[in-house]
Amino acid sequence: MTTNATTDPLLAVESLRTQFKTENGTITAVDDVSFTLDRGEVMGIVGESGAGKSVTAKSIMRLIDYPGEIASGSVIFDGEDLLECSEKEMQSVRGNKIALIPQDPMTSLNPVLTVGQQITETIKLHQDVGESEAREIAIEAMAEVEIPDPELRIDEYPHEFSGGMRQRVLIAIGLACEPDLIIADEPTTALDVTTQAKILELLNDLRETHNVSILMITHNLGVVAQTCDRVGVMYAGNLIETGEVEAIFNQPRHPYTRTLIDAIPEVGADRNRLYALGGSMPNLQSLPDGCNFADRCPHATDDCHSGGDPALEAVPDAPAGSHAACFRTAELDLSEPGTETDGERRHRTQTTEPLLEVTDLKKYFSAGDGLLGNLSLARTDGGGLTLERQYVKAVDGVSFTINRGETVGLVGESGCGKSTVARTVMQLLEPTDGEVYFDGHPLHELGKSEIRSLRQEMQIIFQDPKSSLNPRKTVGQIIGRGMEKHNIATGNEKRERIEELLERVGLAASDIDKYPHQFSGGQQQRIAIANALAVEPDLIVCDEPVSALDVSVQAQILNLLDDIQDEFDLSYLFISHNISVVQHICDRVAVMYLGKIAEFGSVEQVFEPPYHPYTESLLSAVPHPNPNRETKRILLEGTVPSPMDPPSGCPFHTRCPKKLGGECERDEPRAKPVDGDDDHTIACHLSEAEMSEPLTHQQSNTTVEQP
Amino acid sequence: MAFVNYLLKRFGFMLVTLFLVTLITFGLTKILPGNVALLILGPNATEASIAQLEAQLGLDQPLYVQYVDWVAGLLSGDMGMSLRYNVPVFDLIALRLPRSLLLAVTATIISVTLSIPLGIIAAVRKNTPADLTASMLAFIGLSLPIFLWGLVFIYVFALTLGGFPTRGYVSPMVDPIASIHHLILPASAMGVALTAYIMRMTRSSMIDELSEDYVEFARSKGLSERAVVLRHALKNAAIPVITVVAFQFSYAFGGVVVLEEVFSWPGIGRLTLTAIENRDIPLLQGSIIVIALIYMLSNFLADTFYAYVDPRIRYGGSE
Repeated sequence: MTTNATTDPLLAVESLRTQFKTENGTITAVDDVSFTLDRGEVMGIVGESGAGKSVTAKSIMRLIDYPGEIASGSVIFDGEDLLECSEKEMQSVRGNKIALIPQDPMTSLNPVLTVGQQITETIKLHQDVGESEAREIAIEAMAEVEIPDPELRIDEYPHEFSGGMRQRVLIAIGLACEPDLIIADEPTTALDVTTQAKILELLNDLRETHNVSILMITHNLGVVAQTCDRVGVMYAGNLIETGEVEAIFNQPRHPYTRTLIDAIPEVGADRNRLYALGGSMPNLQSLPDGCNFADRCPHATDDCHSGGDPALEAVPDAPAGSHAACFRTAELDLSEPGTETDGERRHRTQTTEPLLEVTDLKKYFSAGDGLLGNLSLARTDGGGLTLERQYVKAVDGVSFTINRGETVGLVGESGCGKSTVARTVMQLLEPTDGEVYFDGHPLHELGKSEIRSLRQEMQIIFQDPKSSLNPRKTVGQIIGRGMEKHNIATGNEKRERIEELLERVGLAASDIDKYPHQFSGGQQQRIAIANALAVEPDLIVCDEPVSALDVSVQAQILNLLDDIQDEFDLSYLFISHNISVVQHICDRVAVMYLGKIAEFGSVEQVFEPPYHPYTESLLSAVPHPNPNRETKRILLEGTVPSPMDPPSGCPFHTRCPKKLGGECERDEPRAKPVDGDDDHTIACHLSEAEMSEPLTHQQSNTTVEQP
Repeated sequence: MAFVNYLLKRFGFMLVTLFLVTLITFGLTKILPGNVALLILGPNATEASIAQLEAQLGLDQPLYVQYVDWVAGLLSGDMGMSLRYNVPVFDLIALRLPRSLLLAVTATIISVTLSIPLGIIAAVRKNTPADLTASMLAFIGLSLPIFLWGLVFIYVFALTLGGFPTRGYVSPMVDPIASIHHLILPASAMGVALTAYIMRMTRSSMIDELSEDYVEFARSKGLSERAVVLRHALKNAAIPVITVVAFQFSYAFGGVVVLEEVFSWPGIGRLTLTAIENRDIPLLQGSIIVIALIYMLSNFLADTFYAYVDPRIRYGGSE
């Protein structure tokens, strides 16, 4: 490092503008963005989809593909303007001085090259080393990101690694050439929460040991709060607020930042309605005249709607480094969360009359490729050859009930079988075994036509509304079809009902003749909800209904689901991997692990405080959008075992931090009531006292969160 | 173990297909009009001599017995006697098959060496004049039937420019130079016709791969565009292309029937035509079985090659 290196910022982005040429004109995805990043600093760039975060990151590395181009600005990195460099010079910067950690570990590694080939190629490219030396460095890098047995695993292919391990490989590639700057583009978004916790922990450690600067692109304010020193908030291509993380969470200086924070359902917070903004981010091709945010801003005045978009400027009387792009930032005090008028949680009707009773439900899938069924050649214990029948036990003995008017959540990490439970309950998949009673009807015994007529009473909403709405039908045709099929309404009456429903879910009656692609993701999910309501069901199965949505839109949909529940006398089976969302919306919750229910009870019983070791670690792994919160993260060992070959005994014993010993490996724990309360059951060999004990130091990884 | 499982399954699949092909071939020749014994003996045969010959050929046996006998014969290399040539079908085919293979394999090699680089260039320079020209030429290649390419090549290179024979075959054992000389035109005609399809496939497969995340990640490591394309994208793009090459090879083998006629190439294609013309049923059966076997073997080779390219097949499951 030279002497001025310590004073000059490592990266200074100045008036960056990146545009995409489309058939309908030019879209400015990044509009006049300026910020600096110091050496050793971690800065978050946060915002909703389409805000321009990833394009900013790619612009810095000059990885913008045709039809995009960097129109103007400068990117000064280590004293040199990268936008002036030749492509050849840029190649020696990429991977060497600036490394990218991409978003999706499942697709970012080349499936046909070994992990080792993919790490060493970067090393050989940028360092003057031979094959064997590069291999040594690669093994070291793998060891550093805590991949077990790097000497063996280096010759394996990406598909032999789990998602979390693949993310570690990507980080190892990033670290291999000791870069000055790492750009991490949503590095944990595709990961389960317990894996995310481990990766964030790793990044925090590496940042300290390597003194590397990190630009963290994310939509998750929790991730920002747990990892960053400073943060920049983007909206519609602009940076609208920058500042120290603590300062921003204590008192945002831009109303949009405030609403972003408020829209997140927090674990352990009250369960009243979320504070949600209407609308969504404006179309980048038709930005408003004034402030881009004015149309949604609760504090906007007439002046905000004209005079161009406000520039990012230092906020008077604010902590040093606070900048905001808001006309009214000086007069506003945004330190308190926004409140929703009529903010009480509306939903309160609950009965003890069971609507859905599921007993010992099982769903096994055959694991073969279909050619010879699920038979597969395998070795016997003696070493001989044999044919084996293989199953994936996706759901393996699940029991629960949903009472009328109640919301029951199924929460767990990917692959735990929660979505299979939903589909099997709906009889979209045929159960392998078990009983499902819906409103007294034994679904598991009924024929196809009887189930079809009962389907009116059970509707499902999927994660991705885009793929569940027929693109060639109008909204009216989509919603009307079910109404006709179940003889609810026809003709003009049907049209009126549909228009009413559309207005009820927050759309316009005139939307009835539009096609699904004319709506945003959040609006499409509203259509899906209207579609479900149209046939007047008793139960709606919500399969990750808000996972694909941005946080402000997520809050709108959660509020809507809450509002219509009493109005339409609905029960929900709510499937989600997001613990905060489940805790916010559900009355009772089942925690699933490897096809089985680990714990079942009311939200308070299950989470406050958590008992089952898995529930406890799951809850502890959630990154809180609060930088001052002291977090004790329990980092689980290893990964979820394969449901084709589940562990003996307790399915969680291979990773459980409180494992007792042989008993857990041998005997499968039965669900037993806690405190003699039949409503709260736990499948664990530990006593309640043992479960409540805090982990010893060896068992847990305690981190007192900075900054 | 996954690799062995995979290959065993593919091989089993091939055997089942082969069994079905023998059933169809046997069945087809049975429902074709005409009495074999009558064909052999000619129109003046007496009923007694026909019955005697039928008994001799086993044609008076129940169908399933005839089928079993026929398959048993196939397995021991006995495909019966050709009615027209009065020599074992096996010998006829054994003589001609290598000639046809020589033609089809050379054509496939020519088409692969042309089409894959062209496909890559078209994909990398998507929507530029280079891509549009290549795509248009490919489209013309696809639209015209193989025999027409043969005629064009004969007209241009043999008749107009001269220097190439218009027809005939010389064994490479007898005279290698003359053999190649005779091979070039028919193989090129067939190669050009095959190029188009493989090139289109390479292009679209390559375009798909180039938009994958791992390609952008490879660029972010500082790799040159050349390394990104050749080292990262090509191997992935090759997977669907292998299917097409195998399919095209089989297609070439079918195309051989016509093209051999155009170039008077004494291979299995012409043999099959002769068999049809002369109702030489044992010869027809034998030829069909052999051609089908070539189809299946080339597809089995492609399956094996997949496993070589794609480690997910080699080492088993990934979802």
